[in-house]
Amino acid sequence: MQEKVVVTGLGIISAIGFSTAETVKSLLSCVSGVGRISYLDTIHTEIPCAEVQMSDDELRKSLLISREEIITRTSLLGIAAVKEAMQYASFVPDRKLRIGLISGTTVGGMEKSEAYYNDFISSDKHKEYIDAHDCGACTEKIADYFKCFAYVSTISTACSSAANAIILGSELIKDDKLDVVIAGGTECLTKFHLNGFKTLMILDSRPCRPFDDSRAGLNLGEGAGFLVLESESVAKKRKAEVICTVSGYGNACDAFHQTASSPEGKGAVLAITEALGMASLAPGQIGYINAHGTGTGNNDMSEAQALVTVFGDKLPPFSSTKPFTGHTTSAAGGIESVISILALRHGFIPANLNFETPMKYLPVVPLTTTRSSVPLKHVLTNSFGFGGNNSTIIFSRQ
Amino acid sequence: MSVYITGTGKISVQPSDASDSNPHLFETRYARCFDPVFSDYINPMEARRMSTIIKRAIVSTQMALTEAGIGIPGAVITGTGLGCIEDTEKFLTSMINDNEKFLKPTFFIHSTHNTISSQIAIRLKCNGYNNTFVHRGISFELALQDAMLLLKQKKVHSALVGGHDEMTPAYFGLLDRIGYWKKETVPSSSLHTSTSAGSVAGEGSTSFILSDEKSHTAYAIITDVSTFYNGDGTSHPSEKIEAFLNLNGLKPADISLVMTGVNGDVNDNRVYYEVIDKLFKNNMAGWYKHLSLEYFTSPAFGLLASAECLKTGQVPAHMMLKGSYNGKLKHVLLYNHFKNRNHSMVLLSSC
Repeated sequence: MQEKVVVTGLGIISAIGFSTAETVKSLLSCVSGVGRISYLDTIHTEIPCAEVQMSDDELRKSLLISREEIITRTSLLGIAAVKEAMQYASFVPDRKLRIGLISGTTVGGMEKSEAYYNDFISSDKHKEYIDAHDCGACTEKIADYFKCFAYVSTISTACSSAANAIILGSELIKDDKLDVVIAGGTECLTKFHLNGFKTLMILDSRPCRPFDDSRAGLNLGEGAGFLVLESESVAKKRKAEVICTVSGYGNACDAFHQTASSPEGKGAVLAITEALGMASLAPGQIGYINAHGTGTGNNDMSEAQALVTVFGDKLPPFSSTKPFTGHTTSAAGGIESVISILALRHGFIPANLNFETPMKYLPVVPLTTTRSSVPLKHVLTNSFGFGGNNSTIIFSRQ
Repeated sequence: MSVYITGTGKISVQPSDASDSNPHLFETRYARCFDPVFSDYINPMEARRMSTIIKRAIVSTQMALTEAGIGIPGAVITGTGLGCIEDTEKFLTSMINDNEKFLKPTFFIHSTHNTISSQIAIRLKCNGYNNTFVHRGISFELALQDAMLLLKQKKVHSALVGGHDEMTPAYFGLLDRIGYWKKETVPSSSLHTSTSAGSVAGEGSTSFILSDEKSHTAYAIITDVSTFYNGDGTSHPSEKIEAFLNLNGLKPADISLVMTGVNGDVNDNRVYYEVIDKLFKNNMAGWYKHLSLEYFTSPAFGLLASAECLKTGQVPAHMMLKGSYNGKLKHVLLYNHFKNRNHSMVLLSSC
């Protein structure tokens, strides 16, 4: 009999708050974090983004990390979220436990590399940041802050990275490889991503409008979201409060195009169906869907099609919370898992801000204002990445 | 249930006419792959739009699938330390040099780490499980571990697992600046006795088909894969390795061959020699990085070398670090570490 995987802690940092409490407050009061760029050093300041409202120095200060320490913003955001998740779970690392850290990221230390690259090439100036560039190095910086991880792993499947980190963490607990896993993702805003998405012409010049007929692209965001996952027996032994179980998940590949989703949302249908099957749930039992809903023409059409295919006329209340947090790319699966679990725990459904007009070809209507006092039992979150990396996770109250 | 390696493919710094008995040896600080004629495998029109690492990954995948006699694997899982670094560098340098203007999307699209897994999936029309691990020197072993989890739970019956990295001149230079590579050239055949710091830079693309069914092409059984993190340097690799073997019902004495990641860096080599001294004093020990040279996913080359030893029942003399071959191979332990921080163990058995 395989162990149940339970969630005992949540940690989040994004444009709508530095903690779970602040995030709930913003979600309930419909306050978006999308705005003018004020921290990233770029010429494209007219493009709306959702930045974490702290400079690197302020983040260092809040985490008691000295200014001399070689560390990138991706790691700083990750540390902030992991720290909250561990505190939330009242988790005190114990040498007897096998503890893992799995982080999803794509840009890694790019934020420093793009600032120092010409120095890297031509001189020894800033050379200590060369070894902080890759994704794995960013995860290890987080691990080294806490000094309790015997297992580290980094996943990069573009915008579903963090979701896949949570899935892997659950698998490793079920297989009795680890007792406790802190899993999620972290990503900071970079010129690399801003310019990259700009060349693809999928950045909206206005606040994003997922599932709206007038949608014109996404707003980039940044942040980190992590969960404390553990086996039910370990949680019981240390008398931890269980928030919910990880009841189902699915990972499939759209295998259609490097940067576009198939019109029928094939990979999404497969991922959602697999997750429902694993959780032994009928579509009608899901109380809330946190959609990937980026606000691009292609994603929302494809995802809506997939939702209609799986849920038919029983489509539960759904929303994309990206108008709040921006699209936090590799961290999205972590941030949106935390938001979904907060909804489950506190009984509310966050709004899909900025929605006005249903899409002509497929008029699905998300929830437009945050609804409170909703008893939820099962919530589902989608994370889809470039290259067709589609993942779905279902969290359930016991 | 056992997991078998039933197909393999490799593009490496070894030329295609090199053999186990007559390998290509180096006296260099940095070597690139001997690439096959890509048009033998990929339509030239398509190949034109692909970066080198994608072409290599597609070709080594095709080799592995063909050998295993499989069309579409149940899962596609990639390990890569740096992903598509060539295209990342192209986008990055034009962004910096042209001050965020005049950028084209192509290099950005191909810069993400998961491009390899997704290009393979798109090509094979494989809608199954798809994942990419990007964790320094254990990227490949994490991918392998993921595949083992899927296979053991019978979520899939076969999985494609690849280790792919390219070493561009620019990245070679950056890593050179921070001491990854030797400053002098030494014969690769003597890296195991080197007394200086740094290794020799290489690159490669190695693919495997894992299957829950034994076939006539089977190389070996993969019994278990594990990694551990030693960020604070307080772990004792020997203890962890012994515990890993015990978990699999084995003692160090049961290991016929420990295939180490000895890479010529005196500090890295020391860790391997300590493990050999503590656990495998009377066992045969081998190495392979004089053939693959060093890069983040070089253990994938080591897995193939170990699997070939098990398949043929031979250990080429140049791969022997110590001990003598008594003609019998049962269990092989592939052990690698990255700067004594990330350690990995893969347990293989003959089938």
